[in-house]
Amino acid sequence: MLVAVLLPFILALFIPLLSKWKNKLHTGYFVTIVPVIIFIYFIRFIGAGFEPVTREYSWIPSLDMNIVFYLDGLSLLFVLLISGIGALVAFYSIFYLHKSEQLGNFYVYFLLFMGSMLGVVLSDNVFVLYSFWEFTSLSSFLLIGFWNHKKASRYGALKSMLITVFGGLSLLGALVFMSNLTNTASIQGMIDQQQLILNHEYFPLILCLLLLGAFTKSAQFPFHIWLPDAMEAPTPVSAYLHSATMVKAGIYLVARYSPMLSSNDWFFIIVSTFGIITLCWGSYMAVRQTDLKGILAFSTISQLGMIMSMLGFGTKMAVFAAVFHILNHATFKGSLFMVAGIVDHETGSRDIRKLGGLMTYLPITATLAVLASFSMAGVPLPFLNGFYSKELFFDASLHLKVTPEGFKELLQMAMPYLAVFGSIFTFVYSMYFFFGTFRGKANIEELPKKPHEAPFGMLVSPIILVLGVIVIGLFPHLINEPFIAHAAHAVKGVEFEKHIKFWHGITPPLIMSLTVVVFGTILVLTRKIWQPVYRFIPGVLSMNKFYDGTVDRVERYSGKITNGYMNGSLGRYVRLILAAILVTTFAFMAVTGGFTIDTSNLADLSLPGISVAVMMVIAAVGTIITNNRITAILILGVVGYGLSMLFVLFRAPDLALTQLIIETVTVALFLLVFYHLPKLRKKEESASTRVLNIVISVGFGAMMTMIAISAHSSKWFDSIAGYFIEKSHSLGGGDNVVNVILVDFRGLDTLFEIVVLGIAAMAIFGMIRLRGNKEED
Amino acid sequence: MSNLAVLPIILPLLAGILVAFIHKKKTMVRITSQIIAVVNLIVIGWIFIQVRQNGSLVLETGDWAAPYGIIIVGDLLAMTLVLTTNIVAVASVFFAPKSLSEQQETYYFYSFFFMLIAGVSGAFLTGDMFNLFVFFEVLLMASYGLIVLGNGKAQLRESLKYVLINLFSSMLFVTTIAFLYSIVGTVNMAQIAERVKEVEQQGILTTIGILFFFVFATKAAVFPLYYWLPRPYISPNPVVSALFGALLTKVGIYSILRTFTLIFNQEVEMTHTLFIYLAAFTMLFGVIGALSTNNVKLVIAYNIIPAVGFMLMGIGIFTEVSISGTIYYLVHDMIIKGVLFLLIGAIVYAAGTSDLRKMGGLIHHYPVLGWLFFLATLVLAGIPPFSGFIGKLQLLRGGLAEEEIMIVIVALISSLLILFSMIRIFIRGFWGEERELEHPERKSKAARMVWPAAGLLALSILLGVGAEWFYPSIESIAEYLMDPEIYIDSVLKE
Amino acid sequence: MEFIMAILAGILFTTGIYNLLQKQMLRIIIGTGLISHGAHLFILTMGELKTGERGAPPILTEGVESYTDPLPQALILTSIVISFGVTSLLLVLAYRASKINGTDNMEQLRGNDYE
Repeated sequence: MLVAVLLPFILALFIPLLSKWKNKLHTGYFVTIVPVIIFIYFIRFIGAGFEPVTREYSWIPSLDMNIVFYLDGLSLLFVLLISGIGALVAFYSIFYLHKSEQLGNFYVYFLLFMGSMLGVVLSDNVFVLYSFWEFTSLSSFLLIGFWNHKKASRYGALKSMLITVFGGLSLLGALVFMSNLTNTASIQGMIDQQQLILNHEYFPLILCLLLLGAFTKSAQFPFHIWLPDAMEAPTPVSAYLHSATMVKAGIYLVARYSPMLSSNDWFFIIVSTFGIITLCWGSYMAVRQTDLKGILAFSTISQLGMIMSMLGFGTKMAVFAAVFHILNHATFKGSLFMVAGIVDHETGSRDIRKLGGLMTYLPITATLAVLASFSMAGVPLPFLNGFYSKELFFDASLHLKVTPEGFKELLQMAMPYLAVFGSIFTFVYSMYFFFGTFRGKANIEELPKKPHEAPFGMLVSPIILVLGVIVIGLFPHLINEPFIAHAAHAVKGVEFEKHIKFWHGITPPLIMSLTVVVFGTILVLTRKIWQPVYRFIPGVLSMNKFYDGTVDRVERYSGKITNGYMNGSLGRYVRLILAAILVTTFAFMAVTGGFTIDTSNLADLSLPGISVAVMMVIAAVGTIITNNRITAILILGVVGYGLSMLFVLFRAPDLALTQLIIETVTVALFLLVFYHLPKLRKKEESASTRVLNIVISVGFGAMMTMIAISAHSSKWFDSIAGYFIEKSHSLGGGDNVVNVILVDFRGLDTLFEIVVLGIAAMAIFGMIRLRGNKEED
Repeated sequence: MSNLAVLPIILPLLAGILVAFIHKKKTMVRITSQIIAVVNLIVIGWIFIQVRQNGSLVLETGDWAAPYGIIIVGDLLAMTLVLTTNIVAVASVFFAPKSLSEQQETYYFYSFFFMLIAGVSGAFLTGDMFNLFVFFEVLLMASYGLIVLGNGKAQLRESLKYVLINLFSSMLFVTTIAFLYSIVGTVNMAQIAERVKEVEQQGILTTIGILFFFVFATKAAVFPLYYWLPRPYISPNPVVSALFGALLTKVGIYSILRTFTLIFNQEVEMTHTLFIYLAAFTMLFGVIGALSTNNVKLVIAYNIIPAVGFMLMGIGIFTEVSISGTIYYLVHDMIIKGVLFLLIGAIVYAAGTSDLRKMGGLIHHYPVLGWLFFLATLVLAGIPPFSGFIGKLQLLRGGLAEEEIMIVIVALISSLLILFSMIRIFIRGFWGEERELEHPERKSKAARMVWPAAGLLALSILLGVGAEWFYPSIESIAEYLMDPEIYIDSVLKE
Repeated sequence: MEFIMAILAGILFTTGIYNLLQKQMLRIIIGTGLISHGAHLFILTMGELKTGERGAPPILTEGVESYTDPLPQALILTSIVISFGVTSLLLVLAYRASKINGTDNMEQLRGNDYE
């Protein structure tokens, strides 16, 4: 099984080689083989007696990141979708993408996606799942940006990445949290210990984080906005990632965690509410689109919402319908995208306002389109799979098993109406898609290309998918027992022996379906009247504006904030740094009771010492007051000499000497350098700055003094210096202890002190000798 | 055997002196430096293996017993960081000739470079507080030498700020050491730790600890002390930026990690809680900075800061898991920052500008550069299974285990924004219409510039995908740090 | 006496920082000079100060029992030398930076050309 998942990645490595011969043989042929092999490998698992299979491979055991594949009914459904649709799309793309395109890049991204998506639906280890999850986002980013010379393409790529990675990160938060609580990284393990998670005080947070991940990926309202912009990707990609597979990853995740979550009220409320809103909003928005792919994008959003809401219902029937619809949606939506691609390819336009009457030019395509779009609309015909799942959906919406109280009761009442409402628009855009493109008056002159039927190869894939629509429609049991029932079992945790029938008699669901058809037909026929409404409402509620505003604001405000304090002024920086240190340190001193004074072990006051100190204070303050640079430098010297006098007083002769010499040299250097620099000016600073400076500098000085006093009053241990005095002569061979410390006990310090001087010398030499370039930054 | 511990310091020191003597001969100094850097790396790799197998190397310099002499402690943490340092160094030394002007090369670049390595390695290895100060000065002085090298107008301006802030923090550092000495009567880190523990870090000790934190945090660029960092880091040559970005802030973080696991570990409730808050602000403000600019170099420089936040987060949470996250992140960040600065150097060279608004469509001319940059972006943003993810995962695990929800959420948001700030460069700089290159003559040189970065990047990816080979060691380091007695006993043997 | 020295060193820090916060390079560098003096004085104070009969300079002599603490002195020596190196570099750097940029006012050296 590992090989099956890795196969796409492995081939991706060889694509650069293969694409060298692309002029002889389209790279797509090589690529098509991979999903076919995977499909064949996995289809062998299908059967009535199917049991979940687990495979473990060691990867990073110390981090609990092992590749554990868990193939149950749900995974199997997805795996077959991914490889099956993948094969069809890859084959379709051979005719869609011309050899002059950057096929190598395209197929690398394509295979990366396929492998990652297989990984997502097979991984039982949450961290491995997350890894694959992010990779699907990345490959989607790259595929949307495939024609990155177009601005819209770049925009769409960034948008999809930001939103899906945002969700991915929040998913990561949820996964880490859950794995911490249950002490396992396995999804099945978490489900087994669900009480630990469900009863935790942070469970609402975990749920929200998890659902954020699922909703962003599966384009649920209000995170759906990336999906329409993702239509900038080549159409095969839209068919594959953005309708059949990747966008269902969120659905998959919710389904996967359903055994744990579906008993929870919050899960029911959130998921079914967001799902049904998405259904309505998506189908409503689809009606006002003019781009064929735009219609399909919003239609996908709406269908995803429908599946999501059914998972939220969580009843046996709803789960079955959800799983069934995942498959059905993939068949009809995949074929519709391919139809849109064919229309685009053959006419050069996807704008439904320019299209029309193409039936005579593309008869086969039109046939496919009518079947697929009618299935999508849920038209009650016994050979369309879309009708069955729609019917089940209505049925499920009527039979919510919730304790009717508060918001839940409201939901229970509203759900059937909302379901019908959303489905009416679904009917409208489905009709619009077909009739707007293929019927009506043809205006061939306005189209960039003269339309004609697509090459046969391009038709193969949609034909197979539409055959799927019909076969499932005619013989639902064919796939029900060996396949769908197992998937539903995995989601719900109970056995299914659901029989799908076309004719139930006049039941409420059938009435709902008929209502949809009647109202839908009216809306289609009176479309012109409704145009102003369609145009008006979304403008008010546009999530896109919110996204654009946020992204724009993030950049603009971060610019403002950053330039607000990072203004390059050293004074500002130092002030901020010192203030931070000052406040925090004082706070810590106060809280820990750090300030202590102990006057016992002090040296006697000595008059010379005090007078030197006074002199130094006067000199130090003098450096501030004086406006004469020579004076300033000289009185800095006074401070230095004062310090060396203190060294003498306090019995540090070596220091005194060194300080004396160094101070002299430093003063000389100062004079040398500042002879060439401008004179000191009066300090032109505002009163408030001056006060601030005074507060900060006095505060800092006081802080240091207080710490010094406290430190001196807390001499709790004997210094190691005793050892130096004791051993200096006998072991160090010298009587001047300071010298012995420097050259022997702590010789390494001294060695590197010399190194520092050496480096300084080289740096100074370089600065003086190298003439800088004034222009270049 | 324990004498080996000093080699990572002495070898580059000698190398630095040697190349100073032959600095005039460009080719010779270049090749000599490259050979020495590689040899040095091999030697250190070997020492690293020794340490991993046989435990810490503790060297009493001058044969003066601890705590009286200066102790070099080659434990696994120090050796891991030294090894990583030298890996980045080797990549830089091969990048340098392609990026430096002849003048810069002959005016002691290689000497400063080796001295920097010596200083950084010394700071990682030393077991003595004052000696740490000295090594800080060595690496700072070398960095001063590097940052002014070339004497550009903006370069000198930014250098001046850089030197002044570091000078101040050095003075604060040395004073704080004196305060601590007054209380515990020693400068040996193991003995300090022992004595601080004995009095349960009471009284003024926590305040002194906070001062130490601020000293190191200034170097590490923690909020609110990082203001000095971004612009000075981008003003010198890219290879210098790479060295700075990869090594300097990490020394600060290392020092915080060491002192606050070994010494100031008694008042965790207070000190480490402060770290968590500062970490959150560091992440946010850092990444806001990265989003604020269209200067691609500055984007990378700002991205140093949130990484520091991530590492500080682990120290703040202070569990074995989070500390191992910090260490993994530390190693990862040293490498990836090296990669990014080298790549961005090549990008700016190729594009002829560092202004993102003037770039576009570079991928048509520089596909390899573009894809390397894309990969590096993923690594930096912590996309699994690359190295950034491993550290981040452990940090999140640690954070959630302690129910530090706020910092976890901030970390997740910052990850997204980091990705945004970087992918902007890819989208706006590399994608887009194919255009005429402004400097077509630079093509071959720019293409050659990417190889050192590519090598580092490969390692970085290995560090993620092959985490199983590295993580157990890192975990053992975290275990070791959380039990300071081991360190103390290994230094003060009796 | 220690307290007086601590206060003196604190004042040196105060004046040093005040200078550091000014705009003109010379003042700033003078400020760093004052701060390093303050730091060294702090170090000295942190070993016990011994005047008069309480302690002799740490040069071993027959018959003397009590010496001042030699370790801080050694540390200060190292630090003085290092400060000297940094200060010289800083001076040359300031000189070069102000020449090439045509001003010694740090507020005019903000460099906001990195938008």
